[in-house]
Amino acid sequence: MAFLDVLMLGFSEALTPTNLMFCFIGALLGTLIGVLPGIGPTATVAILLPVTFFLPPLGALIMLAGIFYGAQYGGSTTAILVNLPGEASAVVTAIDGYQMARKGRAGAALAIAALGSFFAGTVSTIALAVAGPTLSSFALSFGPAEYVALCIFGLLAATILAHGSVVKAIGMVCLGLVLGMVGIDVNSGSARMTFGSTDLYDGIEFVVIAVGLFGIAEIATNLESKEVRGVLQSKIGRLWPTREEFKESWGAVLRGTGVGTILGVLPGGGATLSAFSAYSVEKRMSKTPEKFGHGAIAGVAGPEAANNAGAQSSFIPLLTLGIPSNSIMAMMLGAMTIHGITPGPSVIQNQPGLFWGLVASMWIGNAMLLVINLPLIGLWVKLLQIPYRIMYPAILLFCCVGVYSVSNRGFDVALVILFGVLGYVLRKAKCEPGPLLLGFVLGPLLETNLRRAMLLSQGDWLVFFERPISAGLLALTALMLLTLILPTIRKNRKAAFEASED
Amino acid sequence: MSMKSASKGRDFPDILAGCVMIFLGALGLWAGRDLSFGTPAMMGPGFLPRSLCVIIALIGAVVLIKALTKPHEALDAINPKPLIILVVGIAGFAFAAESLGFVVATIWLLVVGSLADPESRWREIFISTAVLTTLGALLFIYGLGVQMPIWPL
Repeated sequence: MAFLDVLMLGFSEALTPTNLMFCFIGALLGTLIGVLPGIGPTATVAILLPVTFFLPPLGALIMLAGIFYGAQYGGSTTAILVNLPGEASAVVTAIDGYQMARKGRAGAALAIAALGSFFAGTVSTIALAVAGPTLSSFALSFGPAEYVALCIFGLLAATILAHGSVVKAIGMVCLGLVLGMVGIDVNSGSARMTFGSTDLYDGIEFVVIAVGLFGIAEIATNLESKEVRGVLQSKIGRLWPTREEFKESWGAVLRGTGVGTILGVLPGGGATLSAFSAYSVEKRMSKTPEKFGHGAIAGVAGPEAANNAGAQSSFIPLLTLGIPSNSIMAMMLGAMTIHGITPGPSVIQNQPGLFWGLVASMWIGNAMLLVINLPLIGLWVKLLQIPYRIMYPAILLFCCVGVYSVSNRGFDVALVILFGVLGYVLRKAKCEPGPLLLGFVLGPLLETNLRRAMLLSQGDWLVFFERPISAGLLALTALMLLTLILPTIRKNRKAAFEASED
Repeated sequence: MSMKSASKGRDFPDILAGCVMIFLGALGLWAGRDLSFGTPAMMGPGFLPRSLCVIIALIGAVVLIKALTKPHEALDAINPKPLIILVVGIAGFAFAAESLGFVVATIWLLVVGSLADPESRWREIFISTAVLTTLGALLFIYGLGVQMPIWPL
């Protein structure tokens, strides 16, 4: 069977000693930054992006992916033990997980979280393996018009599903698109928006924007206020959950996995959205909703399964269509570009080893995480005591050397300052930097295809509505924007995000 | 800022967001003022940048106008000191990296950068700078082969 053949290929790629090592480093780093508050996976991936230039392509992707899903595991550990979610997607886990810890059931909560995550990771890895070839063979027939529609759909859907104001997010997308156009225009050869600087002729490096907006701006905001520390519940308790607890959680794990796998695929979706949705699903399904908030194990199992499933299934649109759905996926795209790989439908065909190797490594990584997390919990808890002032100079050094190494010039490091300040101001203005990054990476794709499509149609805008796939995608986009105007949906969306901000 | 403006209710983060977008849109239009616009069938290099900058500025204007009538929302406390110190540290690194080399640039970055946290102590700063500079040189310059001189040229 062909499916088994490609899986064998994937595992043979992922099981080489080097790739196993990168998988382990990624999972370990992910757990580490998931545990440490003050540095999230987005910033870490941004900072490590330039380093991956020195690694083999598959190893680099395996490591970055490991950081992302590893952080989902690590984030839940601190959420449960000290009520301090190390990571945004673990915020819901803290609600019931910490209550369980206070009742001396921290061990069970941690075990269920880890086992649920492992199960969810396995299922969504299979989903990726099944959906990948199907979607990408479909996307191979896309022409320029379809790509334009897909970009617009991806970008706008991401703004709707993301946190905060949609209008501001659309503004950020446009800003990202413009930033992506800085430099020499390939069609006409004229320098665009370079302010006369020859250093900008090659455009702005992706790494510069990512490190500035997510790395430097994050350090600056973290240092503004005093560090918050949680109180550790001293007893972790017995790790193995009771029969009763298993019975209460397996349904939640299944539902969470489903919710996460589906929501992860959507643009703007991913771990955080999946976790919040799974929590509300569990609360609604439960026969004892009053137990939620007081240590209901289903309130830990559902969201934990969902955030892991969501983290992994968000790779589907990137690897099959070349469209990243959130800022981490945008960085994965950046990492692939650094290695000269254009993400999209052709990856599975032209570099099957890369695609299937990455898929297989995710499953291996999930298994490793189980080992890294459960027996070593004591070690992770100790790490929580490292103060931020010891940690951030190292992060700062990584940022600067990393950016410098991209093209070995100080100019890029100076440019990082600009984006660091911009990122800081945008945070104050409550603008999400994620959509900007998405716009930046999709800008060139959108422009090339828009120009091509319009050239082919001789300036007729109707071409986007005459081709069925592009018309369908645009109609879907319009529908989504329309629903936002409807008062009831607007209220629900607002309520959902307000709950998530508590 | 008078009390009146606070009681009337204004969304300050949105006011800031609107101003930033209008400014950046205008900046983009100015930076791309010489680019030819072209026609939809033969788009010039200025077609998309200029259209997008207009959209950014328009969105900024909408956000700004709406913000004036929205319920009051204060800006988060702004404490620019850490940011300024970080900027000074990174700027020094950017300036020193190519000519003065890794050691000088890194020591400047780490010592200045560490001051951004008021809780930092000199003893810790010295130790962490020494450790990170040594490890950094081994990892980045020898290990990964980053093209940066270690000592001043």
